[in-house]
Amino acid sequence: MNRSSDRPIAVQLSGVDKYYGAFQALSRIDLEVRKGEKIVICGPSGSGKSTLIRCINRLEPHDCGRIVVNGIELTSDPRSIEDVRLEVGMVFQQFNLFPHLTIIENCMLAPRLTRGRSKEATEKLARFYLERVHIGDQALKYPSQLSGGQQQRVAIARALCMEPPIMLFDEPTSSLDPEMINEVLQVMEELANDGMTMICVTHEMGFARRVANRCVFMDKGEIVEIAPTEEFFAAPRSDRLRAFIAQILH
Amino acid sequence: MSGLPIDPHLAWVNLPAMGHGLLINIIMTFLTLGIGLFTSLLVTLARMSKNRVISAVAGLYVVFFRGVPLLILLYLVYYGLGQIEGVRKGPLWLIFGSAFSCAIICLVLNHTAFMVEVVRGALEAVPVGLIEASRALGISPRHVFFRIRLPLAMRYGLKAYQNEVVMFAKGTAVVGTITVVDLTAVANGVFEETYDPFTPILTAAALYWVFVNTVRIGFYRLDQHLNRHLITDEMQRRSVVVPKKAETSRPSPVAIGIAIPAVRERVL
Repeated sequence: MNRSSDRPIAVQLSGVDKYYGAFQALSRIDLEVRKGEKIVICGPSGSGKSTLIRCINRLEPHDCGRIVVNGIELTSDPRSIEDVRLEVGMVFQQFNLFPHLTIIENCMLAPRLTRGRSKEATEKLARFYLERVHIGDQALKYPSQLSGGQQQRVAIARALCMEPPIMLFDEPTSSLDPEMINEVLQVMEELANDGMTMICVTHEMGFARRVANRCVFMDKGEIVEIAPTEEFFAAPRSDRLRAFIAQILH
Repeated sequence: MSGLPIDPHLAWVNLPAMGHGLLINIIMTFLTLGIGLFTSLLVTLARMSKNRVISAVAGLYVVFFRGVPLLILLYLVYYGLGQIEGVRKGPLWLIFGSAFSCAIICLVLNHTAFMVEVVRGALEAVPVGLIEASRALGISPRHVFFRIRLPLAMRYGLKAYQNEVVMFAKGTAVVGTITVVDLTAVANGVFEETYDPFTPILTAAALYWVFVNTVRIGFYRLDQHLNRHLITDEMQRRSVVVPKKAETSRPSPVAIGIAIPAVRERVL
């Protein structure tokens, strides 16, 4: 049934638990993402969606279970963390651009520091990805001069400059004004069409329907349901997902 | 005697000596600030360390040296240490035998203690999201600190630092008490020779004022330069930033280096 099941596994979580003190943020998470797959994670606020994807690049250390990214197992060993972070790009809700650097400097910083490439090569790379998110003409501006949608596209370009095979999106459109959401979603769709492996936490159900191969529904730190996108929306199995879908689609 | 409280001739004659005194203050100020940048960063990192012992020692340092009056510290180090024979006869006397180096040591100890909270506040003001974004990009912790956190903290802490520097620059006058001939000491000397109560002190005050305001203007310039990214008005920014072609749809080769020709071909 699943067309991508013969592709190599990009991200595998098995039995992952995460606690904040006594509060259990994630419980027994099992998720397997194949190369090139697009996964959308949704669920009510506080359900652990962000925690889940933040565990994948170890912005949050998990307490139990295994996380393997492109064959690298995440442990507390700094080497493994560094290796995994080079495999995985991330885009945040709050953009998090470096305010004191220009747009192109934002994009060049990480490749310069971690890949040891020349300034010229890095700049070429940065220009290429800025063009790709349709923002090449803003290269010399500072983040504060750009709109929210533009800033988020820069954040995507900045992550792409590290040329990661996997991209994580943590509610990339949630702090944008409505009229700017589409320009960001469009860039993400283009990325999806180019075959990028993507895991997105988002409330944009239209985007989920157009782009996602599978959707994940989380509630109270658990994965309640995983299903191919059509089935997910048309025939939700659990009551919790049915209630959630009814709520967000009005 | 004119009706003025100031004797212009006396002021003029003593100006070279006063200038030399001011030079001592300036040297003391910048030497201490220079050393202080390193020591305060070091003590701050210790203070923020996860190791409880290191953090406690740094905390104790801050509490102690913020509390000890600088004047008493100077007396203790310059006159007090000289009473100990081991110090007087040992190699350390090279340092503690000189009033100037004693003054620098005390000033650094004092200045560092005040700076720790400034630096710590500034470092902690850097949004955690920016640190996370850097880490997510695979940037090493050391680079995250020196390329992202510290440069931003500098900007946040600049105003508080400016206050500390101005207070401190004027505070260097206290070194006169341990025989360093600074501006205030020169002025006092002139007073003792002439019993003119106004001229030397007012001349010294004018010189301090010029010094402190030069420092202030320097800080203003630095602030404008470091925070140019906050100026949203393009024209205004251009007047602040070093002459660099402002951005248009076409990238400026001057501003971004040599790789442009190749890139521009693709862009166009």
